[in-house]
Amino acid sequence: MTDALGMLAGGFAHVFAGGAAFHALWAVLIGIVIGALPGLTATMGVALLTTLTFGMGPNVAMMVLVCVYVGAIYGGSRSAILLNIPGTPASAASTLDGYPLARQGLAGRAMGISTTGSWLGTLFGTLILALFAPSFGEFALQFGSYEMFWVAMFGIIIAGSLSGGDPLKGYIAGFLGLFVATIGQEANHAYPRFAFGNGDLAGGLGLLPVLVGVFGVAEVLSSMRGPAVKAVSSTIDSVIPRLSDIAKYWRTIFRSGALGTLIGAMPGLGEDIAAWTSYAAAKRASAEREQFGKGSVEGLMAAETGESACVPGAIIPVLTLAVPGSAPAAVLMAAMMIHGLNPGPMLAITSPEFIYQIVAMLIVADMVKLFYGLVLVKPLLWILLIPRERLMPVVFVLCTVGAFAITSRLFDIWVMLGAGLVGFVLRELRFPMAPLVLGIVLGDLLDKNLLRGLVLSGGDLTPFFTRPISMALCALTLAAALWSIPGIGRLFGRRQAAMPK
Amino acid sequence: MSEAEAPSPFSGEKAPASPRADLVTAAVLFVLGVAIVAHAFQMPRFVAQSGTGLTAPGIVPGFHGSMIALLSVLLGVRALRRGGLAARGPVAQGGGDGRRLALAAVLGVTYAGVLVGRAPFWLASALFVFAFTTAFEWNEDPSRRARRVAEAAAIGLGTGLAVMLVFEKLFLLRLP
Repeated sequence: MTDALGMLAGGFAHVFAGGAAFHALWAVLIGIVIGALPGLTATMGVALLTTLTFGMGPNVAMMVLVCVYVGAIYGGSRSAILLNIPGTPASAASTLDGYPLARQGLAGRAMGISTTGSWLGTLFGTLILALFAPSFGEFALQFGSYEMFWVAMFGIIIAGSLSGGDPLKGYIAGFLGLFVATIGQEANHAYPRFAFGNGDLAGGLGLLPVLVGVFGVAEVLSSMRGPAVKAVSSTIDSVIPRLSDIAKYWRTIFRSGALGTLIGAMPGLGEDIAAWTSYAAAKRASAEREQFGKGSVEGLMAAETGESACVPGAIIPVLTLAVPGSAPAAVLMAAMMIHGLNPGPMLAITSPEFIYQIVAMLIVADMVKLFYGLVLVKPLLWILLIPRERLMPVVFVLCTVGAFAITSRLFDIWVMLGAGLVGFVLRELRFPMAPLVLGIVLGDLLDKNLLRGLVLSGGDLTPFFTRPISMALCALTLAAALWSIPGIGRLFGRRQAAMPK
Repeated sequence: MSEAEAPSPFSGEKAPASPRADLVTAAVLFVLGVAIVAHAFQMPRFVAQSGTGLTAPGIVPGFHGSMIALLSVLLGVRALRRGGLAARGPVAQGGGDGRRLALAAVLGVTYAGVLVGRAPFWLASALFVFAFTTAFEWNEDPSRRARRVAEAAAIGLGTGLAVMLVFEKLFLLRLP
């Protein structure tokens, strides 16, 4: 305990001594703006800002990216409340009660509730991260190739099962992502797979250009296609949160915080599922459930707390297993690798203090978020009024810079364009994007560990099923896959599409 | 049963893809999956180097390809059961939507695929932002068109110069 507190103090000292805390002031603001603007998601924000951090030290870079992530997930609630359009997919559940509150002339109160819920959610999730990530990291040291193969497989299956409405399309998206990750030279014999004699393809498809394409270019195309939206009102009542709301709904806050963190810690699920699940759980437990969907303070509080608690939750598997808990966390993980920080089981040995540095960064980001949430009301309303015809081409230019900057190859811009067009078509066909991203990120992990495991066992498959942790992970993976089969799911009382839409 | 009436396999799902679209997607994915497996089979096995052939580069992509093919068959069967063959083609979306989408895609590909790398980046970006904004705002209130075009030019120029200054001078990144 004393060690942990000492390392936490060290984490804060690290954040403040290097001047990284100063960067929180602008990075959280950029995150909130990105999150608030419909069409710009947290994943895209973290991917684009990764480009800006190339020249920074790892400490400042991580501070900036964590702040953008925290800010963007919160910022989405502004457009959810004022436009009835979730600024990020995570805020979709907030539209159900946030927008009705705004229509009742209580936009300010709704924003106050969203600020409080989001602040407490991130704080709760960060506390869980600080308490459990180090010991889980030590447990993860027991994971060998066989176990890591199943971790990757479990991530794909659970993300496929739960991240869209359609598990079949989720699985296909996951395997497409895994396939994309196999393009280029493999590790054992340096054989260029699916390169067709092309030197650029032999180098593989960069994670960042693909992500910028799937989340940036595809978003630009999607937002230019639909009709324009208008803010519900330009007059806002007081945004100062009421303590009575916190006192009255403390059970909802705790439940949503716990659910959000837990869902965040599951590979690939992410903030939108955390928000929906917290909302559904609050509705089931509430004494005023008939108010849900008509402007319920409790509903909005649950959704906001759940989605924001998911952010630290999604970072837990990044730090302990090198497996991202959500799509923005996948980009954050890629950025950690770019900056030479190697997340994963070895982190508990090589630099255990890094976990507490991330905890300190999350707390600083959360505090700055609270400040902006209470202070920046009118300016954010003006930003929401920027016409997409003027915003989207600028976003596209930033995507191009983001795709090019990492390796300075024009080929990466083509990868971004290709990934953007394919991502757009897949979205239109209702394929979820989270398993696709997770597949691309986990592809290398799965590939290396499957082959390494086979070599270690001399071709014997039994260790994949008989080692204790392997067996448990295999059972979890199979259970997740069986759960998504309609007949079997119903046997155990699973309701199809139980999440509210 | 028309496509509009074909029930989604997931009650409550918003605007599911039509059975016809799912059927075509399944066919494309099946071909992709089979092509991946076929290509993976043709990859060298490196038996001499590894002794067992267990590090053959084709094993993992072959597995992914076969899973894609298998799952696409399931998707196809489900689409058929939802009336994918019987139903008429998908109801056309609003023509305006399609035109806006095509315009955005063409402008984006022209900028990133053609202009970038051939023209100075600030100029390519300025031209793209100007063309994009002007094209999408062209049909709004004709009496204010000249002003909007001037504003688009200013935004384009501002973006090109700001991106160059921020990324190249401030953050020391190479631009295309």
